[in-house]
Amino acid sequence: MTEWGQRISGQLRFVLFTLPFVLLVLVLVAFFPPDGNERAEWAQFIGRFHPLAVHFPIALILLVPILELAGLNRNFSYLRLSARFILGLATLSATLAAMLGWCLARSGGYSGPIVVQHMWGGISVAAACWLCWLLRTRASEAELGMGYRVAIVASVALVAWTGYRGGQLSLGEDHLTEHMPVGLRHVLRLPESASPTVDANTFYGARVQPIFAARCITCHGPNKHKADLRLDSYRAVMLGGKDGPVVRAGNVQASDLFRRITLPPGHDDFMPKEAARPLSVDQAKLIELWIGSGASDTLPVDAIKGAPGASPSTAPAEVTFEEIDPATVAKLRAAAAPMVAQLQKRFPNILDYESRSSANLSLNASILGAKFGDSDLAAFVPLAGNITVADFSRTAITDRSAGAIAAMKRVRVLRLMGTGISDATVEALDTMDQLESLNVFGTRVTAAALPAVVKLPRLAHFYAGQTAIPNSVAIPQALAGKVVF
Amino acid sequence: MSDSLIHADDLRTALLQAQTRRHFLRTLGGGLGTLFLGTSMTKYASAANGAGHSESSNLDFTRDASSPLAELPPQFAAKVRRVIYLHMAGAPSQLELFEYKPDLKRLDGQDCPASFLAGKRFAFISGVPKLLGSQYPFHQVGQSGQWISDRLPHLEEHMDEICFIKSMHTDQFNHAPAQLLVHTGNARLGYPSLGSWVLYGLGTENQNLPGFIVLLSGGKSPDGGKQLWSSGFLPSVYQGVQCRSHGEPVLYLDNPPGVSRPLRRSMLDAIDDIDQQNYAAFGNPETVTRIAQYEMAFRMQMDATDAMDINKEPESVRVRYGSKPGESSFANNCLVARRLAERGVRFIQLYHWGWDSHGAEAKEALNLGFMDRCREVDQPTAALLADLKERGMLEDTLIVWGGEFGRTPMRENRNGQVMKYVGRDHNPGAFTIWMAGGGVRPGIAHGQTDEMGYEIVKDPVEIRDLHATMLYLLGFDHRKLNYSFQGLEQKLTTVRPARVVAEILA
Repeated sequence: MTEWGQRISGQLRFVLFTLPFVLLVLVLVAFFPPDGNERAEWAQFIGRFHPLAVHFPIALILLVPILELAGLNRNFSYLRLSARFILGLATLSATLAAMLGWCLARSGGYSGPIVVQHMWGGISVAAACWLCWLLRTRASEAELGMGYRVAIVASVALVAWTGYRGGQLSLGEDHLTEHMPVGLRHVLRLPESASPTVDANTFYGARVQPIFAARCITCHGPNKHKADLRLDSYRAVMLGGKDGPVVRAGNVQASDLFRRITLPPGHDDFMPKEAARPLSVDQAKLIELWIGSGASDTLPVDAIKGAPGASPSTAPAEVTFEEIDPATVAKLRAAAAPMVAQLQKRFPNILDYESRSSANLSLNASILGAKFGDSDLAAFVPLAGNITVADFSRTAITDRSAGAIAAMKRVRVLRLMGTGISDATVEALDTMDQLESLNVFGTRVTAAALPAVVKLPRLAHFYAGQTAIPNSVAIPQALAGKVVF
Repeated sequence: MSDSLIHADDLRTALLQAQTRRHFLRTLGGGLGTLFLGTSMTKYASAANGAGHSESSNLDFTRDASSPLAELPPQFAAKVRRVIYLHMAGAPSQLELFEYKPDLKRLDGQDCPASFLAGKRFAFISGVPKLLGSQYPFHQVGQSGQWISDRLPHLEEHMDEICFIKSMHTDQFNHAPAQLLVHTGNARLGYPSLGSWVLYGLGTENQNLPGFIVLLSGGKSPDGGKQLWSSGFLPSVYQGVQCRSHGEPVLYLDNPPGVSRPLRRSMLDAIDDIDQQNYAAFGNPETVTRIAQYEMAFRMQMDATDAMDINKEPESVRVRYGSKPGESSFANNCLVARRLAERGVRFIQLYHWGWDSHGAEAKEALNLGFMDRCREVDQPTAALLADLKERGMLEDTLIVWGGEFGRTPMRENRNGQVMKYVGRDHNPGAFTIWMAGGGVRPGIAHGQTDEMGYEIVKDPVEIRDLHATMLYLLGFDHRKLNYSFQGLEQKLTTVRPARVVAEILA
C-alpha cells in the first residue's frame, strides 16, 4: 500500500471510530434533553465525573495552537509532529466529556438557558475538534491551510465560552466578577452588587425569603431549576414548578412546598434533597404561618403575632463586623485631613480619628495638662464640626474658651474636669444638641448653671462632683437620675 | 618567616572572599525563597485559618520606628479607651461571694454524688469528698436584685453597676497555666498578654508613661510569673511594666547622685545614635524597643513618680480607698490605678494574691484567710468604681474582676482526710467574673450553673469569648487584631472560634 493509502485508511479508521460517539451525543441530546428531573443512579453517578473529565479536553485543545506556534521555530519543529495526535486525543476526550455531561444534565435535574448553552457549547467543541483533526490530517507538513487555522482559533474560543458557562453552572452566574474590586467594577460599568433586593420590611422579605435563599435556591434558583421550580423571588415562588403551584395562599395543607418540607426525611418527596438536613422547626413554622396568612409579599414583618424567633430585638443579637473600605473612609476624611495632619504635628498624641472607619475626631488634651490653654484650644476651631469627643480635663482652659467649645456642635462627650471654667462656659453650651455626657467635676460651676444644662436635649450624664453645686441641691425634673455627684 | 606571614594573609583573604560569596549566595537564593514562602505561606495559613470569614483586609499596625507606642485609632468606634483588670490570683471561691446555691447549703456534709467525680481530675480531692455549702449568708441587693454574700459590704452598693458572667469556663486546673490562659489566651508560655495586644493595637495616649502597667499586692507574685504580662512574640516594647506602688515606681529610675538631667540627656543621645545606626544596619525591632525604653525612662523620671504618688491625693480620697501610703496593698494599687487611668495609661493590670482557699492552713481557709482577702479588696474595689463614676471615667473604662478558675462545691479532703480548716479545690468547669464600665450592660448576670454551682448549664463563656468581648469593647474585631508570626496570623483568641458575648453588651 502506498503512503497516501496508509494515511487515508488511518484517517478513515479514526473517522469511523469517532463518528458514532459524536452522533450518539447528538441523538441523546435531541431525544432525551435535560428536563430538570432526577433519574437513575448510574447515570448520575457517572455524570458527576463530568466536571472532572472536562479539564482533559480543555488542556489538550489549548495545547494544539501552542505546539503549532512553537513549531514555527526551527528548533522546535518536531513539536508540530504531535499536533495531530493531540487533536485526535482531544476529539475523543471532548466527546467522552460531552457524554458524561449529558448524563449529569439528564439525571441530575438540570434545566435552564445556561445548561442548554453549555450543552450545545460542549457538543460544538467536540465537533470542532473533530473538524480540526480532519483539516490537520489533510494539510501538508509545510503549509497549514487557512481553514485549519480558523478552525483552531474557533475551537479555542468555543472552549473558553463553554468553560465559562460551565463555571457559571457550578460556581454561580457571577463567579468571575463576584469579588471584583469596587474600582475595577466601576471602570467596567458593572453594577455594585448582583444580588436582587427584597423588601426587608415585609414578612416575606425578612422572614421567608431568607429561608429559601439559605436552604433551597442551590437547586431551585437562577442556576438550576430542578422540577422547573425557582424559589429566588416572590413571583417565581408563586408561579410554581412543572407540577403546578407549590404554594396555595391561605391553604397550608394543599401547598406542596409545605407538604414536602414536613414529610419524614427519607421520604421520596422530602425536601431539601441530597442528604441536606431538614428545615428547622422554626423555619417550617414561619413558612406555615406565611402561607396560612395568605402568602402575601406585602404583609408587614411584624404582622404575624407569635412567629418564632420574633423580631430581631428579642433574639440574642450577634455582634457583626463590617468591612472597612479605605477608599470610602479617605473620601469622608478628605476635607479635614490636611488640617488634622497639621494639628497632629503641632500637638502630638492628643488628636486622632475616633476609629479607622470614621472621619470623626477625638480630642484628648488632658494628656498635656496645664500646658494646654485657651490659645491652644482656639487652634482646633477649624475642626470644630468634626470633633465628637473632647476631653479638656486638668488643662488650663478658662471661660475664654467657651465660644470655641460651643462651636464643637457634634461633640457627644465633653470633659471639663478640674479646669478654670465656670457657669459662663456651661451656659454657652446651649447649641450642643448632640451632647450626651458633660463633666464639670472639680470646677467652680454652681447650681445657677443647671437651667442651661436642662436645655441640652440628649444629655444622659452630668458629672457635678466637687463643684459649687451641693449634693442637696434641688435637681430639676428633666435631670432626674442624670446628675452624678 | 615573612613567607609564612604572607601565606597566612592570603589564606585570610581567601577565607573572607569565600565567606562573602557564600553569604551573598545564601542571602540571594535562600533569602528570596524564604521571603516568598514567608509571604505566600502566611497568606495560605491565614486563609485556612479564617475559613468562612472575610480576610480581605488586614489592619495596618506599623508605626514610625521612633514612636512604637504611638496611638492608633481602633478599628471601630470603641466603647472604652482603657482597661483596669483586677486579677484575684489563686481563684476566689464564687460559692462564698456571688453564687447563691441554697440546694448546696441543704446538702452540706453529705457524700458527693459519684456523677460529680466520674472522669474528673482534681488538684487535691481524693476518694469521696463531702459537699460543702456556702460558709456565708447571701442576700439580694439593689434594683437588679443580684445575690451577694455578706463578705463584700462595700462592693454590694455597686451591684447595679456590675455585669456578672457566672458561666466562665477554662480547661486548665492549675494556677500558672490557668492564669496564662486568662492573660495570654494560651496555657503555654510565649504568647503576648492581653495588655500587650491592646497596646500593640491602640498604642498609648501618654508617651511619658508606659502604656501597660502592672501592680502587685498580696505579698506574692501570681503563680504565672512575669509571663503574665510578657509581650510574647510581639516586639518587647509592648510588654507590661511592673511598677512598685511606693518609693521609686521603677527601681533606679532617678538619676544617681552627681548626674544632672542634661548630662543624662547627652548620654542618652549618644546611646540613641549608636542604636539608630544599629537599627539602620540590621532592622531588628528589639533595637527600637531599646531606644524607646531609654526615652521612656527619661520621660518617666518626671511623670511616673508623680503619677504613682498617692500622697498627692487628698486625705478624704485615701480614706475612701482605705489606702495607707508606704504599704504594698491592693488599696494603694487601686488608687494608683485611678491616677494612671486619668493620665492616659491604656492597660492597668492589678494582681492580688492569696485566694487559693484549699483549707490546708489558716491563711488559705475559707473561714479565716478568705475573710482577710475579702476585706483587703472590698473597700478599694468599691472606691475605685465610685471614684471613676464620679469623675465620669466609668463611661470609657472597662473594669474586669476575676480569678483564673472556680472552686469545687465539695470540701477539699487532701489525701482523703478531713482537714483542719475549711477549703475547696480547683474547679475549671465553672467560675464567676464580673465587669463594669463602658459598653457593658449593668446589673445583669449572664450564664448559669447547676444547683450545686459545679457545672455550667446555660450560656458557657470561654476565656477566648471573654477576650473577644473585651477587644470588641476596645473597638476591635478580635480576628483583625493579629500579628504574623511562625507563618500564622496570630491572635489573642487563637485559631479556635471565639464569640463576642453580645448578651452582656449595653
